[in-house]
Amino acid sequence: MTAGSADVAVRLDSVSKRFGNVVALNRMSFEVERGRLFVVFGPSSVGKTTALRTIAGLERPQEGRLEINGQDLTHAPIAGRNVSMVFQSFALYPHLTVRENFAYPLKEARVSAGDIAKRIDEIAEILKLGHRLDNKPETLSGGEQQRVALGRSLIRRPDILLLDEPLTNLDAKLRDDMRTEIKRLHRQFGITIIYATPDELEALSMGEEIAVVREGHVVQTGTPDELYLTPKDLYVAQKIGSPTMNVMGANLGGDGTSIEVPFGSFALPDITLPPGARDLKVGIRPADIRINGGAPGGISGRVHMLEPLGDITIVDIDAADQRLKIVVREAEALSLQPGAELSFNFDPARVHVFDAQSGQHIT
Amino acid sequence: MSATDKKSLADRLGLKVHSGVGNAGWGRTVFAAVISFIYFFPVFWIILTAFKTHNDALAIPPKFIFTPTLENFVAVFSRAYSAGAAAQDTGFALYFFNSVFIAGTSVLLALAIGTLAAFGFSRYPLRGNDTYLFIILTTRMLPAIVVIIPIFLMFRVAGLSGTYIGVILLYTAFNLPFTIWMMKSFFDELSPDVEDAARIDGSSDRRVFFKICLPQVKAGLAATAVFGLILTWNEFLFALLLTGVDTRTVPVAMAQTIGGDIGVRWGLLAAIETLFLIPVIVVTFMLQNHLLRGVTFGTIKR
Repeated sequence: MTAGSADVAVRLDSVSKRFGNVVALNRMSFEVERGRLFVVFGPSSVGKTTALRTIAGLERPQEGRLEINGQDLTHAPIAGRNVSMVFQSFALYPHLTVRENFAYPLKEARVSAGDIAKRIDEIAEILKLGHRLDNKPETLSGGEQQRVALGRSLIRRPDILLLDEPLTNLDAKLRDDMRTEIKRLHRQFGITIIYATPDELEALSMGEEIAVVREGHVVQTGTPDELYLTPKDLYVAQKIGSPTMNVMGANLGGDGTSIEVPFGSFALPDITLPPGARDLKVGIRPADIRINGGAPGGISGRVHMLEPLGDITIVDIDAADQRLKIVVREAEALSLQPGAELSFNFDPARVHVFDAQSGQHIT
Repeated sequence: MSATDKKSLADRLGLKVHSGVGNAGWGRTVFAAVISFIYFFPVFWIILTAFKTHNDALAIPPKFIFTPTLENFVAVFSRAYSAGAAAQDTGFALYFFNSVFIAGTSVLLALAIGTLAAFGFSRYPLRGNDTYLFIILTTRMLPAIVVIIPIFLMFRVAGLSGTYIGVILLYTAFNLPFTIWMMKSFFDELSPDVEDAARIDGSSDRRVFFKICLPQVKAGLAATAVFGLILTWNEFLFALLLTGVDTRTVPVAMAQTIGGDIGVRWGLLAAIETLFLIPVIVVTFMLQNHLLRGVTFGTIKR
């Protein structure tokens, strides 16, 4: 155990896991600080679940190293890791009542009957499930089942709680409530949570730190702001931020000081281009484009479609064969009609430039 | 929408409006009752005959109204073998015990072994898992009459002929394929996440099986037990050739009761058959709630 690892609850170091020919984890590495709410974010079947199952001990990696609290537990048995997990399917014991579901992990840990009863009362109080203790899981609503699953995981006071897409099986309204609930529980219990989700909104709103996963490895780790402001490559840039970043092909202007995009050109921002890089991609976030109402220097386009979302409206515009999305405030959008001409501009300093081949962000 | 609109909509969709006899309506209920009665009639007639005197049982036209008697039930256990002789013990108490003991033990054994095997096939598949499952099933593909001679010879050589252990082993082996296939399908239906959750909660594989998996397939155990019990309980051919005087089961003993100095004693046979029905009916009745879930498992859930 090294001194620096004292605050690291979980460390994956180049962990690989294959199932037959399918590579689930491809040298995946990340570190989770103790007490953090850490989100593993990526579309379905990129290895998020396998990563969590590996931490829980349900899967043994073929390569790499897993440390929990500074100890190498790569090949350790499940028991003794003090890790608990909430499954996407909730995985409640269907033949047991809510009370018995709560009691199960404690019984397995040989906690005395008196303590079990006390802790069940505590957790039922925290999760507002007191009136449901003698019901079977199948009679509960989705949200209640979710809370039972959380309670069963929290009741034995684990060091690390793994949540595998816990909200995917709930309806939209309930998701909002449960997001708040999980954040509240995280604060209340102060434990390390690793949270896997394919949902960008969930990732950004819950995660203190987010690992963006692609095909079994972590592309970038950072706070929501870091990922939004300085994405490492096109993949992260297009995964983080809603609506999705506008990305278009671009060329370095002849004199090397400007960038040419389909609807015009702008001064090269303060970045260091690698030598010979001419084939570029440019990304502009929809929120970074402003309608300027015909002021000089504007780029002209035509409104294609409006998506009113209440306080903001997403406007699709066509500018020189390029479809762009921009976000405008509702008040501004009132005057817009499909087919109308408008002019817009953007701050070159907020433009992201990528190498078209590798997708790497150029800074 | 008016009431008539609702009704016609329900009619068009083929739905029946609720009435006093559930959703099916009177017509279908009566129809089902008639069909059920036709199927049940032979059983009903056997039970009726069990309470008739020899003359009533043979009467033509058949009698539905008669003075019931228990003499046949007494004769099952104790009767005179010739006119005027003293009544003797017929040994049927032992035969009933044999049937219960042999069928019960072999069904429980098959359930214990078969459930473990089924869990193995479901959770820890071998290379070529399906082939093994198929091979297990092939043991039931041959008609009993084909395998009876080799088995008879094997039992003679092994000294198992006429012993409890011999016939129990045979019935266990016969119940196993069915038990394994049935139970495997039940285990296949269970969510693997639930088992993983139990492992994370600190359970060993053994406890996962006993505490988590087994309780979830209770309905399957009940259904499998009842089907196995009915098959074993009624088995005749192997019992005829492989049981001895002391290990004889009721179907064999019944066959040997058919002859007699006054022709076939239908009342006596019916009484034996009536008594023979009781255990199966009782077990089936006790397990019927599980049974219904068991036989419909996988067809309505998910």
